[in-house]
Amino acid sequence: MSARVRRDAAWTALALVLVAGLRIGLDPSPASPWRHLLLIPVLVAGLRLGSAGGVVTGFGAALLEALCVLPALERLGASGVADGLLTLGLPIGAGALSGGLATRAARARGRHTLAVAIQRVLADAPTLDAALLRLRDCLARHVPGAIALAARDGERLVLAGAASVAARSLAARVLATGEPAWAPHVGGEQGPRRALVVPLVVRGEPIGVLALEREGELGREEQAALAALGAHAGLALENARLASLQRRAAEELARKVDEATARLREMDRMKSDFVAIASHELRTPLTALAGFSELLATRRFPPEEIRRLADIMRGETVRLARIVSDILDLSRLERGLEPVLRRVPVAVETVAAAALEVFRRGAPTHRFELRCPEPLPAADADPDALERILANLVSNAVKYSPAGSCVGVACRAIDGGRSVEVTVEDEGGGIPSEALDRIFEPYYRAPGASRVAYGTGIGLAVVKSLVVAHGGTIRAENVPARGTRMAFTLPAVP
Amino acid sequence: MYALEHPHRAHVASLGEGTPVALLVTLVTAWVAAQALGALGWLPRRAVDIVGLAVAHGALLGIAVAWTTRTARAQAWFPAALLVAAGALAALGLPGLLGYALLPLWLVWLARDGRVGWLRPAPAASILSGALLGAVLGAHMLVGATLTLGHRISVPEVAALLPWLAYDVGANVPAGEGFFRGALFARAHRRWSLGAATAISTSLYVARYLLDPLLPSTLELMAGAAFYLSLLGIANCWFFARTGSAWPGLAASLLFFAAYRLLAPA
Repeated sequence: MSARVRRDAAWTALALVLVAGLRIGLDPSPASPWRHLLLIPVLVAGLRLGSAGGVVTGFGAALLEALCVLPALERLGASGVADGLLTLGLPIGAGALSGGLATRAARARGRHTLAVAIQRVLADAPTLDAALLRLRDCLARHVPGAIALAARDGERLVLAGAASVAARSLAARVLATGEPAWAPHVGGEQGPRRALVVPLVVRGEPIGVLALEREGELGREEQAALAALGAHAGLALENARLASLQRRAAEELARKVDEATARLREMDRMKSDFVAIASHELRTPLTALAGFSELLATRRFPPEEIRRLADIMRGETVRLARIVSDILDLSRLERGLEPVLRRVPVAVETVAAAALEVFRRGAPTHRFELRCPEPLPAADADPDALERILANLVSNAVKYSPAGSCVGVACRAIDGGRSVEVTVEDEGGGIPSEALDRIFEPYYRAPGASRVAYGTGIGLAVVKSLVVAHGGTIRAENVPARGTRMAFTLPAVP
Repeated sequence: MYALEHPHRAHVASLGEGTPVALLVTLVTAWVAAQALGALGWLPRRAVDIVGLAVAHGALLGIAVAWTTRTARAQAWFPAALLVAAGALAALGLPGLLGYALLPLWLVWLARDGRVGWLRPAPAASILSGALLGAVLGAHMLVGATLTLGHRISVPEVAALLPWLAYDVGANVPAGEGFFRGALFARAHRRWSLGAATAISTSLYVARYLLDPLLPSTLELMAGAAFYLSLLGIANCWFFARTGSAWPGLAASLLFFAAYRLLAPA
């Protein structure tokens, strides 16, 4: 009992006694109009203290009035009974009526306040867990008793005020059926401990439960109010959950935009680098071509020297053509177009041997090994594309491994002969682990790569596009104590 | 939280669960035998009355003890035995009235460590409120009876008043509050609402007094008794529901019945 109720009850008792004294002092006859004065404290008590206070005060007033009514009743006999009972019953009825109305109004006001409070606390809940905790705290402030909540979050059950939901518990039953469960007594020594579990409903489906346990009364009206509150809270929780999802989606979107922006900035930087590098890469063979053609045009050379210069010029032309081809392929790639392939059965070991022979002649600083130990199935591939793939990979191996080291190419059948795997290994310093996932991106160059050798950063992107266009895969890995291994697969001829 | 964390099983006992049937059969048999022996003149009237008192109050308290205590079921036989002893001692004269202290003392002893739920301690304010209510109801009854029925308020001689007070303290009030509040109301309240439990408890409480051969049987007095006992029963149920203890009800009933003993017929 709160201090306010105790104070009001004391004032009511005092007022009742004073008014009764006044009424008896003024005119003790049962028909005195002053008898109606007793209704004043009764009505005030009903309005201040609710139905219980109104009824108790009404009874008190009736008992006091009885001191005036009963003697008359005794004198008049049966003829005065109805009037006497009406006189005694009036304050009780007035107290019950005014108290009942006040109690109903207070309950309606409490429900409205609670609904507003629920909306307010759930407005910016970041997660369902937080929303449930806030909802429980809010309910605990407005509804007497122990409160617990459970709500489904996908396969997970979020809880507030309880550690678990046991099988065959009241809550489990409500979650399964969507119908409220009521138990008049669930244990405890002192008095009854009532339990009510109502579903939190969204679109007719139970998404969770609200459980209330109380040592004391939990009447039908309050049970109905709690069931309605369950529907309201379910909707509010669902709104909070959707708002939370929306917030998380917005945050995710912002993060992705930030990432994309950073990526675009990096791409822009890499493209700038590429323009500078490509200009340099293009200028080198062009300079050689211009210089040697100038020499040939302005001087006379013996036939052997002319052949040597012509070989150099042809080599630079091939290099120039490869750079231009890579740029064109990359251009197609960036436009979303796949490389054009003319697929025929290709003997991979033959193409690999030819590619290595070119490098053996052009790069005598390295040793080259070809290992194809078993008869291989023919690959279903474009021979020119395969040659470009191998040339790019072997060229990289040569560029990023020290002079005198070995560049090995190995071929083997995999997947029961349905594919051919080709690996290119070098004895270089390997690729930094953080760059392994990115080296097939256009314009990307591993940290420190530019210090070792020139490169446009588009070769491996073109290689990957060619392999993927064949339906194969490519991967790069570091081999401990060796160097880098690039492995790609091509489908075999069925 | 039980509703979530525990598989649900019904905690509510049926209204008759745990009733000491053997005790009741024995008491009824003893009462019938005493009545028969009394009718045949083989047993003095005083002894028949003592058996009647012990059977009525012993049955109520025996059921209350069996329903509400966590002790051996044999304890349910003690109230009847103690009341027989109290009645026999009271027959010896005024000092023998101390025998009526046996039952309250035994109840207090039994209630140690909270083994009798309805005798758990209650706040002093609640006990005082109960006493105030009993006094107000008793006073109103006295004034009402004086104004209407012409009864008068008298202070009887100690020798006449003390046996009644001893009977109220040692049998009437503990049996009434123990059974109708501590056992019946508590059990009904676990099953039904406060209003329903109060109605059941109070109606049986009033019926018990209307059937009491020690009370006057005129219509006016019975109507008055029903009115005041109803108010007393309702108030005591409310006190019990609030505190879980019968002490406020015991205080209210003791003062009400003490006031009742001051009422002398016209």
